[in-house]
Amino acid sequence: MSTCLILAAGEGKRMHPLTYTRPKVMLPIANKPILEWNLINAMKSGITDFIFIVGYKSEMVRNYFQDGSNWDVSIEYINQGKPLGTGHAISVVEPFIEKDFLILSGDTFLGSLDIQNVRKQSMSMGLCTVDHPEEYGIVKTENDAVVKIFEKMNEPFSNLINAGIYHFQKEIFPFLKQIKLSKRGEYELTDAINLVAKEMKINAVLVNQWRDIGYPWDLLEANREIVTDINPIREGLIEKFATIHGAVSIGKNTRVMNGSYIEGPVVIGENCKIGPNCYIRPYTSIGDGCHIGAASEIKNSVIMNHTNIPHHNYIGDSIIGQGCNLGSGTKVANLRLDKKNVVVTHGNKKIDTKRRKLGVIMGDNVQTGINASLNVGSIIGNDVFIGPGTIVDGLIRPHTHIY
Amino acid sequence: MCGIIGYNGFRDANNVLVDCLKRLEYRGYDSAGIAILNNDLQVFKETGYISKLEEELKFNNEIKGSIGIGHTRWATHGRVTKTNAHPHISSNKKIAVVHNGIIENFKQLKEYLMNKGYTFSSETDSEVLSHLIEDNYNGNLQDAVYNAMKKVNGYYAIVVMSKDEPNVLVGTRKDSPLVIGSGDNENFIASDITALLKYTNRVIYLNDAESVVITNKNISLYDSDNKPINREETLISWDIADAEKSGFPHFMLKEIYEQDQTVHQVTRGRLSEIDRTINFDEIVENLLVHDYDNIQIIACGTSYYAGLMGKYFFESFAKIPVFVDLASEYRYYGSFNEKSLVIAVTQSGETLDTLAALKKAKSIGCKTLVITNVIGSSATRISDGTILTQSGPEIGVAATKTFTAQVLVLLLLSLKLGKMKRYIGTDDLFQYIIQMKQLPIHVKYILDHNKQIKEIAEILRNARSVFFIGRGINFPLCLEGALKLKEISYIHAEGFAAGELKHGPFALLTKDTPVIAISSKDVTYEKIISNIGEIKARGPQVIAISEEQDTEIEKYADFVLRYPSDTGVLSFIPIIIILQLLAYYVADLKGCSIDKPRNLAKSVTVE
Repeated sequence: MSTCLILAAGEGKRMHPLTYTRPKVMLPIANKPILEWNLINAMKSGITDFIFIVGYKSEMVRNYFQDGSNWDVSIEYINQGKPLGTGHAISVVEPFIEKDFLILSGDTFLGSLDIQNVRKQSMSMGLCTVDHPEEYGIVKTENDAVVKIFEKMNEPFSNLINAGIYHFQKEIFPFLKQIKLSKRGEYELTDAINLVAKEMKINAVLVNQWRDIGYPWDLLEANREIVTDINPIREGLIEKFATIHGAVSIGKNTRVMNGSYIEGPVVIGENCKIGPNCYIRPYTSIGDGCHIGAASEIKNSVIMNHTNIPHHNYIGDSIIGQGCNLGSGTKVANLRLDKKNVVVTHGNKKIDTKRRKLGVIMGDNVQTGINASLNVGSIIGNDVFIGPGTIVDGLIRPHTHIY
Repeated sequence: MCGIIGYNGFRDANNVLVDCLKRLEYRGYDSAGIAILNNDLQVFKETGYISKLEEELKFNNEIKGSIGIGHTRWATHGRVTKTNAHPHISSNKKIAVVHNGIIENFKQLKEYLMNKGYTFSSETDSEVLSHLIEDNYNGNLQDAVYNAMKKVNGYYAIVVMSKDEPNVLVGTRKDSPLVIGSGDNENFIASDITALLKYTNRVIYLNDAESVVITNKNISLYDSDNKPINREETLISWDIADAEKSGFPHFMLKEIYEQDQTVHQVTRGRLSEIDRTINFDEIVENLLVHDYDNIQIIACGTSYYAGLMGKYFFESFAKIPVFVDLASEYRYYGSFNEKSLVIAVTQSGETLDTLAALKKAKSIGCKTLVITNVIGSSATRISDGTILTQSGPEIGVAATKTFTAQVLVLLLLSLKLGKMKRYIGTDDLFQYIIQMKQLPIHVKYILDHNKQIKEIAEILRNARSVFFIGRGINFPLCLEGALKLKEISYIHAEGFAAGELKHGPFALLTKDTPVIAISSKDVTYEKIISNIGEIKARGPQVIAISEEQDTEIEKYADFVLRYPSDTGVLSFIPIIIILQLLAYYVADLKGCSIDKPRNLAKSVTVE
């Protein structure tokens, strides 16, 4: 029986401020954690036994997935323990593997067909092509077999990169024991694969659907892709004079009130109050227990659970955390006046998001006063208070009060 | 203080144990050891830091097993040697034990076991446990531990494993900490949550006299009557950096709160209630026998104030003149007399000025004794005798628990000397012993009732200058209280002998200078009340620190902070804790860097 190992231990520091309060794999896309999408896609390829390697805020993963019975699968949890890299994390699991096993990164999207293709071969590794291969592991292949993985080259010889999905047999564990600490002080799985490739054939399998989520704004692209594919289910109540176009999912006990205008694809969770008289535009996900009120407009955004956008708000190309409450008239700018790419201050550096339109990235439990203006590319930490009429720009650290 | 850990899971136990022990290193680091159970019982020990043990294990490919126990030691019984390091193994080489605490009746137990033919290899009290458990073993390790520990007096947290039951670890505790970590396909037992937080954040607390059996899947708890009980897991929400502070925002506060244990730690093995004696090791006792002209105490900073308190103790209990000198002055200008006993007080044992002063005293021919917290430190190697304060490592730069420990050691020493010189009778000594035994309760009381201290901190936070006044033994306490306040909150603070105010300091007194007056009910009580009156006449707010039964004081002071009345000569301990908490809360309100105040270092090893 093959087992599927999903790496779900990471904090995802590059995903701050969203990951101050949750592990990276629990970031929601179309109202489901990234990890759940991976679980579902792996299940479609016939796998029923899962091991989640957890670490950072592991209780959130464990509480959500429990023993897996809600998905009719079995889930074991293993704590990563010392964060010594992927090679170490996988070697720890040895006692739990019977025969062969599939390895997935919990924070990378793969199509279910791709997972099936990788699984078909007894030893294999998924590869994909990207435009900027220098940030990834470049893979050298020969007759469909992996020869070597080169980490982060300055001048890559190919744009074929390691997609982070593998199918291995138990025989690879001795190789994991041989690897030494890498330059960045971790035991890298790729070092072990390079050793294996010298002695056994590792099939190179090209994957089609692959999305790496590196920075918070990458969630918007991933969300767009997934909500487009979703089969809409309408379980909530839609009042007579509400207008709904296209693929719109509406969860249980959600009420869409008169005058609301929703253009799909849109996903709305359970127990929400939508409207009256609001405008929800395509590629938006709204979590459970949210309130989108009168004269509010939302476009291409991810709104997490229990957040209120209740009166006279505009939210565009933004990610709004859980439990936020926006004051009347709080608005987000999502386009520079000079129409140039939005540059954000993230951590200690400035990053060009390569997006022309980007609103704000807001952590959990942020409260804003009336008429607060949030400028393009603002990154707002969790538990921030923003006073009435305040103009917000740049990076706001968690727990800050600004007036 | 020592740290212990037990692991039962699926990983290589040696790596996990060493990793966890490193997190417990703050509890002690003079030697360490682990035992791994596979088909064989493998034991590895090293003296020195845990990294040394780790180095040793790195090149050993023979180690295999996913169940084991580990220990990091801070010597109290027996020297720092490989043999004395834990784990200790039973005579039949089947049972391994790690222990944190002290076995008070170990001599009797040792004799009993030796008579039964058990052979001992170490000088520690802990070793009796391995043989005692073997002696009680009857096919069930948990029962054996339960029955063995019924025979033990003292304080302990232990983790035990046996070759005959290779799937279980047994742990139990009394008065020493032990917590269970509930993981996925693995479980832990440790002295402290910090040790296991990397592997799980779900813990189960173990109460006194309860025991636990862990396998890699299950955790079974037993109460003090050995009956099975259930207890919910607690989710720990702090991260690793917080964990080293055990959930306290600063090391300083954590260390202030550890002081109910400090008394315990200083007196353990030294106070005997039964024979009504105070005992130090032979070398120290031999040093006290000599006929000295006087005692010279040399120290720096907080230790100097501990020394000033020592002066009161020695002069009143042992009737011997005491001179207290700052080490940096003494080494150049001290009056040397080869018939002086020189006592150096230093937390780190590495303070450069104190070391230099010690060397100077030795070169004159004085007998030297050092009171320090760090075993094996330079001062211990220079001096003729050493008394350890046994308070565990102190990380906050501002000394708190080690000051209390130093003063207690000086008190014990003065009582011992007084007894030897027959100024104190056995009954008097017994009274002091009883008071010391009750001290942890009083300390706990102060720590639990700190709301008012926080309110006073609000008053002090905006002051530009604060005065501390007191008489007698409270005078050095004032100096220490002022030092604490100035070093962490950066507020100018001065301690004065209350009678000295009118000889100058009054000139600085304005209505904006809060005054903290320590007013114990002793012979000078009336005087301090009249000092408070003089101060009030000039307008400042007076905060009195008084005993609970003093109803008089409210008439004179604006605010009163209370300490329990029946603390007698030991009242300085609740008082110092009030002063430490006060300084802490003021600094916290001001947002100061409490654990690392500007321009200051923990141990000053330069001139």
